[in-house]
Amino acid sequence: MKKILPALIAHIAVILAIVISFGVISVTADRSASGNEKFTGVLERNVTLHVLENNTAKEQGYLKELLDSFNERYKEYGIKAVDANIDQYNDLEQSGPFGYGPDVLYQANDAVMKYVDGHHILPLPLEKIACKDLVSENAWSAYEKNIDQQSYTFGVPVNIQQPLLFYRKDLLPADWETEWDDNKNGIPDMIENWSALYRFSKQIRQESGGKKYGYMQSLCDSYFSSGYLFSFGGYVFGGEDGTDTRDIGFDKGESYKGAKIVRQLASVMNMECTEFTVSDNRYSRLAEGTYFATMTTPDVYTMFIREMVNKGYTEEYAKENVVMVDVPQVPVSGDLEDESLGFKDMTVMGGVNGYAISSYTSYPNAALEFVNYATSYKMVKKRYELLGISPARKDVVDEIGGLHKEINDNLDGNSIYVMPSVRATAQIWPPMENFFSLIAGDMLENKNVYSTDEALKNGLKKVSKDAYDAIHTLSGS
Amino acid sequence: MKFKAKCKSFFVKLKNKFVNFIKQLPFKFKSKFAGAKEIITQGNGKVMSSFAVMGLGQLLYKQWAKGALFLLLQAGFILYFVLSGAADLFGLFTLGQVQGDAWYGIEGDNSVVMMLMGILAVIMIIFYAVIYTANIKDVYRTQCCADTLKPAAGFKKEVSSLLDKNFHKTALTLPVIGVCVFSILPIVFMILIAFTNYGGANIPPALVDWVGFENFGRIFSLGEFAPTFFKIFGWNLLWALLSTAINYFGGLGLALLLNKKCVKGKAIWRAFPILAYAIPGFITLLGFKFMFSYGGPINYYIQAAGGEAVGFLSVNSKWMARFIGLGVNAWISIPSTMLLATGILSNINTDLYEAARVDGASSWKQFIKITLPYVLFATTPVLITQFINNFNHFGIFYFLRDASIRSEGYFLANNTDLLINWLYRMSIDNNYYSIGAAISLVIFIITSLISLTVYVLSPSYKQEETFR
Amino acid sequence: MNKAKAKVAKAKTKKVLNVAITYCILIVVAFIFFFPCLWLILASFSKSGSIYSFDGFFPSEYGFDAFKSLFTDTVMYNYPKWFLNTLFIAVMSCLFGTLLTILTAYCMSRFRFKSRKAMMKATLLLGMFPSFMGTIAVYLIMTQFNLINQQWGLILIYSAQAPMGYMVQKGFFDTIPYSIDEAARIDGASNFTVFVKFILPLSKPMLVYTALTSFTWPWSDFILPKMLLIDKDLYTVAVGLMSLGETEFARFAAGSIFIAIPIIVLYFCLVKYMINGMAAGAVKE
Repeated sequence: MKKILPALIAHIAVILAIVISFGVISVTADRSASGNEKFTGVLERNVTLHVLENNTAKEQGYLKELLDSFNERYKEYGIKAVDANIDQYNDLEQSGPFGYGPDVLYQANDAVMKYVDGHHILPLPLEKIACKDLVSENAWSAYEKNIDQQSYTFGVPVNIQQPLLFYRKDLLPADWETEWDDNKNGIPDMIENWSALYRFSKQIRQESGGKKYGYMQSLCDSYFSSGYLFSFGGYVFGGEDGTDTRDIGFDKGESYKGAKIVRQLASVMNMECTEFTVSDNRYSRLAEGTYFATMTTPDVYTMFIREMVNKGYTEEYAKENVVMVDVPQVPVSGDLEDESLGFKDMTVMGGVNGYAISSYTSYPNAALEFVNYATSYKMVKKRYELLGISPARKDVVDEIGGLHKEINDNLDGNSIYVMPSVRATAQIWPPMENFFSLIAGDMLENKNVYSTDEALKNGLKKVSKDAYDAIHTLSGS
Repeated sequence: MKFKAKCKSFFVKLKNKFVNFIKQLPFKFKSKFAGAKEIITQGNGKVMSSFAVMGLGQLLYKQWAKGALFLLLQAGFILYFVLSGAADLFGLFTLGQVQGDAWYGIEGDNSVVMMLMGILAVIMIIFYAVIYTANIKDVYRTQCCADTLKPAAGFKKEVSSLLDKNFHKTALTLPVIGVCVFSILPIVFMILIAFTNYGGANIPPALVDWVGFENFGRIFSLGEFAPTFFKIFGWNLLWALLSTAINYFGGLGLALLLNKKCVKGKAIWRAFPILAYAIPGFITLLGFKFMFSYGGPINYYIQAAGGEAVGFLSVNSKWMARFIGLGVNAWISIPSTMLLATGILSNINTDLYEAARVDGASSWKQFIKITLPYVLFATTPVLITQFINNFNHFGIFYFLRDASIRSEGYFLANNTDLLINWLYRMSIDNNYYSIGAAISLVIFIITSLISLTVYVLSPSYKQEETFR
Repeated sequence: MNKAKAKVAKAKTKKVLNVAITYCILIVVAFIFFFPCLWLILASFSKSGSIYSFDGFFPSEYGFDAFKSLFTDTVMYNYPKWFLNTLFIAVMSCLFGTLLTILTAYCMSRFRFKSRKAMMKATLLLGMFPSFMGTIAVYLIMTQFNLINQQWGLILIYSAQAPMGYMVQKGFFDTIPYSIDEAARIDGASNFTVFVKFILPLSKPMLVYTALTSFTWPWSDFILPKMLLIDKDLYTVAVGLMSLGETEFARFAAGSIFIAIPIIVLYFCLVKYMINGMAAGAVKE
């Protein structure tokens, strides 16, 4: 016995000693690493860059052109860019740290800026970006963030996303020039202001016996419907740069007027507007003439054309008659049936898509070179031609003019409310969507719970509170 | 009365069981340590050397292969501790000290990974202890053989015993390792997460810390939490009971129907439910969601017939959506219950029915007196598992209802959410991993207590031994 | 005489009525189960991809476009590749999963070792933990083993988690009389030989049942592959189908049909075994 117990104790002691000593070594080890400047300007050679692009760019063949011409140009350096071939919404926060993310990514500004807190994307050296002066200040600001009193830029804007009104020109009433053009400017009233569009939709519904609709939209889709709130003083987050998540402002200003408009619009639709059904079926419904107009972003233009062709129209006819225009104006009174106070521009929710560079790339300089190449005049123009996007580059926009110029001006004139570039943005949508589908259903089913301004105000207050709860209540911070 | 008495006897049994368990504890411990004491007092020098270094005693007994194997294991474990085990174990307590910063290429500590590797290190230590004890027991056995001049089992023979007497050890090694790593480790991980501040903005590369019971305190102090919890819990219980019953009796009924003598072409009739069985669940669910939507075919026909569109699954529906959920779940689950019931029915002794028919019992009586008791008895374990699966049925309402729907009086939830859906909203949609883990721990304790008691008291558990 | 005739006639009508009602119910049941499937099949033959160009349940125009694009238009959605991936993962997981489950169940049924009861209770408890909560941990484990974005990683998880569901199989082994083992052991067979030579041939229905269930799970699972496979060319069909756009319903339906077919065929070939296997596993007398 005397020998065995000591042996056991000795064994345990040795194991413990090993564990403790190596454990302590690991805890006390000095691991202060060097903070090297990543963008040295020296191109890495013989490397492969993985580029994440969105699905449309891939589908329409733009990505292939981009990669081919880039690879041709940088052949001598041995730099090769390839399609990362991963989901377009890939979360860099999850894949990046473990080495499975792309080197260069193309995503919307809110998605990109979500990565900033964890330092998953690199701050870009503005002086080394070629299109620095060619993109408007507001587009840049979507990718800017102040950290310790210093402003950093995390992405290069390529395209401005804003909802547009899509309508069928051939479904305009034949007499619109005399009957539907009060101000005689040669533009139909129904695409100029919501009141006329509302009246026209009502008329279509009546005349067709409820079989056809004028303006149709999934009103519950807060990306589109929140614009009405913003037009009357509502906002998502307050604070200086619109990122103070403790100040949620859906109920601020006279935003209830916007909610009232949403509720009125529901009356010319059907219950499908309380779900995402319309977002899915509008392509075929517009093509078959059941809907006259809808609101969505320009990147889906080709889907409308495809459905028109499916329905037997020629492509030329389709392109001629499916028209995108800037969103109509809202009545100042906040009541679609009261035009006495005139109209004002609508503020819409929008976004800026652009390129960012992953912090986990081993070739930051080559990646930066790629971003510069992809945002060059030539490639942005190509992107516009193939995908119909609204470029953020002034020189390209000036050349194209028309609607895309208007969109750029909207951004400059602050009538695009750029999606807040903070991570909590994702948590504001559910309560909003719930509210919009409640008020739309309220109108259509004649429940009249939300028929008063007071009820709408309270409803919006609840939305703000729910969003606040989702973001803060449980986090304990 | 009968029910009351049954309940009473149930609780008495439970109490007795518990009391017995406590009473037996000291004996259990004693008997455990008796063996250890014997080895410590009786062991000789070679046993001692195995105490000091694994396998040394075996080598001294000239059991070369076995000794070498143990020695190798000893070296392997020490190497593991030196290389990463020790650091991982310490990491479990510190959860990291250096915050990573990808901008400057600072690797930093990933607290969550550290926690995971720390748990793995603990598992490895337990594993080490198990092997260490096995090593000592083995050498002591050899000593006993040597003392009584019996020849010790050769290495070859011991290896071949792994295919015979100890076949279970061989066969269970892989499954146990697999289950440890991919089932137990994640669960321990989630339980530990409940005691940290992981979630919200506090995710890697930010460092996560232990916070003790803070999350539980926050849950119970939150005014909105309790009402929502009990509403959801009530519905969850109702859902589990109803859906288990519907699926069970639906499947049984269908099997009985197909078992009727007058039904010709059984294989073909049986094919239709099997068709439903073969389509993956998420496709079925998406299909049903569309079918019941405002733009879906059912509303198309309602409107074509001049009716008003019905919001089966919309914001305002409550019981309608719940019933559709039950129905869809039945559509998905009845086929498998049917197959099960068909098999069981084919095993019933037909003599019983013959006798019943001679006595003039109606077919209903036959069902109540013979079929049902038999089937119920045969499927108790299946019923328990089905109940648990239904209780935690995540997919049905996740796919059927829009994610954004929130109901009045519910905190971050809607009126069809089950507890698991609510958990998902909190932990995945809203990033509250730690809170989600804390709630799931609470739910887990409740459900597991209930079902473990039921299981231990169930006839199939008790009769397992009498079976042979 | 007349009375007896009437009685016979009455019994006959009763019988006819019984048969008629039985068949009515059967037809209704068959319709309920068949109709959604039929709808899916019809949808896949719709000419326009969008589900909203349907008249109620029925497409307004029929065509093979969806199937054609499913197999030819592979730039964005490489369905044939996904199909092969899924097949590979499912077959491998099925092989390993079945092996491990059968072994576990056999041991739990035939051996009485110290930790047995504890293990049985533990598996029951573990099954009750909300599984998605563990997925975060599974992802992290896989990153540490460098198995993200690899099909073998998935196979490993599916096979490793399969033994958790050994209960049905154990029930089956419990019903095989112990006398078979004893007789064989008297002849000098080891436990391993008993298992391979005597028990396994007797448990064919259970083997088939286990193989089928461990095949269908990876075949239609969505959550794990979505999390662990990053490269689009490695996707399984379930993940790939979910990534299709909303307007591609016909293609979605066509893709769904192709993943349903192998399972249907398997079930039809093996339905006898299935029924026997499930029943035997549940029965405990």
